[in-house]
Amino acid sequence: MQQNQRRIIYSIILLLGLAWTFASADQSGTSTSGKIPAPQQGFLAPDFNLKTPAGESIKLSDLRGQAVLVNLWATWCPPCRAEMQTIEKIYTEYKDQGLMVLAVNMTYQDDPFAVLPFVTEQGLSFPILLDETGEMADDYQLRSLPSSFFVDRNGIINKVVIGGPMAEALLRTRVEEILE
Amino acid sequence: MVSLFRSLFAPPRHLILPLAALWVGLALAEKRTGRHGISKETLNNLVYYSILGYILGGRVLYALSHFSAFAQSPLSLFSPNPDLFDPFAALMSSLLVGFVYGQRQKLSLWPALDALTPFFATLAIGLSLTHLAGGTAFGSPTNSTWGVDLWGATRHPSQIYELIASLLILGLIWFRKTDSPSGVSFLTFAALTAAARLFLEAFRGDSTLIFGGLRLAQVIAWITLLATLALLESGFQREKS
Repeated sequence: MQQNQRRIIYSIILLLGLAWTFASADQSGTSTSGKIPAPQQGFLAPDFNLKTPAGESIKLSDLRGQAVLVNLWATWCPPCRAEMQTIEKIYTEYKDQGLMVLAVNMTYQDDPFAVLPFVTEQGLSFPILLDETGEMADDYQLRSLPSSFFVDRNGIINKVVIGGPMAEALLRTRVEEILE
Repeated sequence: MVSLFRSLFAPPRHLILPLAALWVGLALAEKRTGRHGISKETLNNLVYYSILGYILGGRVLYALSHFSAFAQSPLSLFSPNPDLFDPFAALMSSLLVGFVYGQRQKLSLWPALDALTPFFATLAIGLSLTHLAGGTAFGSPTNSTWGVDLWGATRHPSQIYELIASLLILGLIWFRKTDSPSGVSFLTFAALTAAARLFLEAFRGDSTLIFGGLRLAQVIAWITLLATLALLESGFQREKS
């Protein structure tokens, strides 16, 4: 190909690219906009209303204004067990700044009688919720345990951590981000 | 088939995909090292040191940027958790390590980049598969019949667009003529990748927007395209003279 032909082709490509960039500009803002509920970073955290072992109901959307760590766990899952003490430590340290931890036990695939002894043994002070039907797990598209969703004060998922156990520094950095 | 793939490689298992791409890419690059005057051993070392730079740089720089959190739990530095990682810092660190190794081995820049091109092209395929498995880099909502249900809406299958583009680019790079000047193979790959990103970013639902709703990735891709085309042209001129 001759030099002139090449230069013409390159110029056309660049002009088309520039036109496409302007034509495809998103005037409406990002499509997620934190309005659609989905278990993904940048989306509204799907709402749930679950009961504690004592029968008290907790609804996620009622906690708007607080930063929330939603942790999905089961007693048979070793990494879930391993990270509970770290979560407790971080919760104790940051709860006065507005952190709430909701540890949702996957009761539908766990031994319901093993939950309370584990919570007592670990000395956990944050609310434990029971997902007895698997509906919450479906809404959060649970594929691996543990799964943690860091929800900011506006109810938007800031970060998702799949797998564990989470290191203390990871929990601390993520929690500080949602408390901002 | 897509749902089966997504179930099979659901996070955190999706991390196996870039690793597999790395292995395949290195094997492909090894097959062509002779054409660029680089030994297989040198190419392997270059890649391994760069990967080491990527892993260590990504973790150490993440720790430095979150110093207070790590100061309270220094053992977190050795946690296997992949989220304690800064991908951009990792990339910079890996480029720096690769550059230093190349200098020490007296490697010429363009032949080395040409030799690595199949490796980069395969990594791009691995990255798009990782996006597909994790549901990241998702598309904007659409009414198209080929839209996929993801994150609460019917969306452009942007990860599949990305996969098709990266497969085509690897094919073009692999089967292109071999008598071109030094650097052309890598620059062609870079230009095609930038052009694909420029075009496909328009269908993404997670773009970072800058003034006037412009998509940042498109602006960067356009500048990259401009630079690669200019370098390609100067390469042809050098060859001619």
